[in-house]
Amino acid sequence: MSGRTKVRGSIGAAAIVMAGAGPALAADDPAVLKDLTAVIALQGQPCGQVVTATKQGENDYAVACKDGSKYRVFVNPDGRVVVQKQ
Amino acid sequence: MTNSMRVVAIGVVAFLSQACDSTPPTPRQTDGTVSREPAPPPPAESPKVPPTPPGKTVPREGEQPSRDASQKPTAPTRDTPRTTPPVPAAAPRTAPPRAEPTPAAPPPAAPAPTAPPPTESHTASPAPSTQTPATTLRAAAPQTAQAPSAPTPTAPPKAAPLDLGSLEQRLRDTKAIGVFTKLSLKNQVDDLLEQFREFHKSRDQSMLSRLRQTYDLLLLKVLSLLQDGDPALARDVSSSREALWGILVDPDKFKNL
Repeated sequence: MSGRTKVRGSIGAAAIVMAGAGPALAADDPAVLKDLTAVIALQGQPCGQVVTATKQGENDYAVACKDGSKYRVFVNPDGRVVVQKQ
Repeated sequence: MTNSMRVVAIGVVAFLSQACDSTPPTPRQTDGTVSREPAPPPPAESPKVPPTPPGKTVPREGEQPSRDASQKPTAPTRDTPRTTPPVPAAAPRTAPPRAEPTPAAPPPAAPAPTAPPPTESHTASPAPSTQTPATTLRAAAPQTAQAPSAPTPTAPPKAAPLDLGSLEQRLRDTKAIGVFTKLSLKNQVDDLLEQFREFHKSRDQSMLSRLRQTYDLLLLKVLSLLQDGDPALARDVSSSREALWGILVDPDKFKNL
């Protein structure tokens, strides 16, 4: 019984982690998408509009644009916003 | 028999008299050798024609051709070379005038359409009064529009550019620009300030135009980001454009930033 409970507990924890990690990484907030769109435009990169953004870390996003292009938008250690084409 | 002889004699005399009456034209025809009968009328008319103006002769000939149309064609042509040439020439000349008057008749109709405008203008004399108010309204509208619009934009902008601290704080606090975008804008502002430092060190005036272009582009980016979410701040930033440029260009003011 104890073994079964341990297995069930570990599976539940993993499911919670996975379930929590998924939505946390996806940035579907329209404000964030708009912000990323503006940043890419300010850097002079072609995009049109950011349709999806995936948060990879603190101030670090992987975005997909409406025109099909993909970028990584992040803040480097110097505090500068960098738009890197993927 | 005597009676019959008398009758015959009288008849002969009468015939001769008639023949004499008809012969006179022939001696006159000596001028016009070609035609016998047509000649008489032309000489009689020709003397009349020259003295009279062509305008009068034409109608007479125009009337006569209807009478001697088949006979005169030759006679007038040869007799006329002297006298009639002017006549036929006058005829076409006079004919057009007649044709002109007839068209002139329609022109009166044409003037009528042209006349309507004047009549309309006359009748529209009240209309002008209606138009003038419209024009006055139009003229007044721009004046009223210009009068209020001019003072309103100028007054607030002048107050805003003086307070640079509040502008900076408003830019930091505004929600119209996202965090990433603000950070990116700050990076570009810092880059521009670094270029200005180089400019003030080198005092190279050739850099000024390029700096102005970069400054305008950056300000345009800020305004484009603010105009929808925070139009008031966008207006204040736009109005302080020249004041900011003046601070950046002035070395003393730039050091105090």
